[in-house]
Amino acid sequence: MVEKAKQSRGLVVAGAIGAAVALVGIVFWFIQLSGGMVQTGMRNLDSWGLYITMFMFFVGLSAGGLIISSIPNAFGMKGFGGISKVAIWTSICCTVAAIGFVVVDMGQPLRVWELFVYSNMGSPLMWDIIVLMVYLILSVVYLVFYMRYEAGKTSHVAIRVISVVALVCAVLVHSVTAWIFGLQQGHEFWYTALLGPWFVSSALVCGTALVMVVCIALRKMGYLALDQAYIVKMAKMLAAFIAVDLYFFGCDLLTSAFPGGSGAEVVDMLVSGPLAPFFWFEVIGCAAAMVVCLVPALRRNGWLVAASVVAILGILCKRVQLLVGGFQLPNIPFANVEGPYAITFGGNGVDVAYSSLVYWPTGIEWIVTLGILGLAFALLCFGLAWLNLKPVAKEASVAAKAAPEAPAAA
Amino acid sequence: MTHYGMAIDLKRCIACHGCTLACKSVNNLPNDVRYNNVLTDGGQYMDTARGTYPDNLYRKYYPMSCQHCENPACVKVCPVGATYKDPETGVVRQDSDKCIGCRMCMSACPYTGVRSFLWEEPKYALDFPVGDADAPEHVKHTVEKCVFCYGRLAKGETPACMEVCGALARHWGDLDDPDSEISRLVATREYEQLLPEMGTKPSVYYLI
Repeated sequence: MVEKAKQSRGLVVAGAIGAAVALVGIVFWFIQLSGGMVQTGMRNLDSWGLYITMFMFFVGLSAGGLIISSIPNAFGMKGFGGISKVAIWTSICCTVAAIGFVVVDMGQPLRVWELFVYSNMGSPLMWDIIVLMVYLILSVVYLVFYMRYEAGKTSHVAIRVISVVALVCAVLVHSVTAWIFGLQQGHEFWYTALLGPWFVSSALVCGTALVMVVCIALRKMGYLALDQAYIVKMAKMLAAFIAVDLYFFGCDLLTSAFPGGSGAEVVDMLVSGPLAPFFWFEVIGCAAAMVVCLVPALRRNGWLVAASVVAILGILCKRVQLLVGGFQLPNIPFANVEGPYAITFGGNGVDVAYSSLVYWPTGIEWIVTLGILGLAFALLCFGLAWLNLKPVAKEASVAAKAAPEAPAAA
Repeated sequence: MTHYGMAIDLKRCIACHGCTLACKSVNNLPNDVRYNNVLTDGGQYMDTARGTYPDNLYRKYYPMSCQHCENPACVKVCPVGATYKDPETGVVRQDSDKCIGCRMCMSACPYTGVRSFLWEEPKYALDFPVGDADAPEHVKHTVEKCVFCYGRLAKGETPACMEVCGALARHWGDLDDPDSEISRLVATREYEQLLPEMGTKPSVYYLI
């Protein structure tokens, strides 16, 4: 009991630190709004930046986490030892972060109500907003149902049905996020039908990796007991997802490079151009993580955590490649009168402006981003401390089913 | 139906940037915001040439602003309909009171740099407004662009860039009317359009 109180106090303290960071972030968001977004690194020719990169990334983490936790329930497979609730909660925190990143990227956040009044149903951004909202609500409903199921109050059929719905929605939410980019014919790098499935495979990579890290950490803290067999199972799944993700990347690069036209520029930009560090980190990092997950001798907890972290960072690098890469190749590269709102690193001619990364975030963007990460972290810690997310021991749940009148008697 | 379009004679354009300045003053544009740019298809900088002397050295100018596409990528993606196509004239218009500042239109538009976001509170070179009395308002953190001087069109006038073009390179009119000057020019002269492969069907023609 004392142990438990200590653990939960530790979580609350960690959550409070996260909340404090979030507050700092909010202050800087207000500074960004009042002083203008000119304080960010974004400009007319690279009009999205770190916020939208992180938005993509967090939608992926969230969708991946939910898919991992709902597949076993949906298909009646043996689950990952009751980590479902932790995985769903992690997904909810990531979804909140994703929504946060969209909000701080908006120039006129006070007009957000217009999205619901003047909705243009033809816009992929509108689809994404709708799917994200549904997804967030559904994740909460899923968690509640799961808790009721464990308490013996809901049938197994109900939990399977809601798992299937959650699974479909998680796949959809990330595909729709991909379509925000993938349906833009103006960006050579984005305009590919592969982008939807590819986003889903990346989501599975970072979602599985995140759930694995969280589970190993929580087990170490004594928050939950988890058989090593489940961790090994997750490691194998992570390896499989990485293989699929890298395969998609290979397919995309080949299709871009083979005709030798403008697609070859995309490949050059990634392999040896300004985005090469992000490209090679992703490819080599993910491949190394896959090896760790596949070789039994390397499947020790320290290595697995390192592999997971590298895989997550690898996917983050991919998001950077996608976002910055989309703006790195101008359609009309003619010389113009330079101005402070045109491009982040302008002033020295067309080729110089595009020779290195066209965009890099400024201090205020980092701080606001850190604030949103703090918010998600605080939510995660408070949830772990105050919600009943621990797996229910087998005997306890059986006892609850056998004696439903017990709570009333007590 | 009316479908306004513009034809710019690249043989006549002398890159005086008069159109850019007329646009700036008529629309009372804030500092460093331009709806129209005269781009140099040449070297690294404005007014520099490409190629080698004396055989194939060349310099070419493209006055470029919103192409008022028949199939505009920006209109499709705007989540709130703040950028929309005027059904009467085919002009792609912009509603600064509605724009939520998500910048989806900026990334969707294939024509690099025709859209401007007001990254801070607009500042002006003069401390009084210039241009037309009904010049558009400029709202911080919203997206703006050329609207073919919609306010002037409503009064039966032509866009400001047309009026000042000293080289008479710009032609303006109704592309749906086969007898209009612009329709005849497009029918008889050789022309090119920017990024036709994007499928946006721009309403701006470059006569070459």
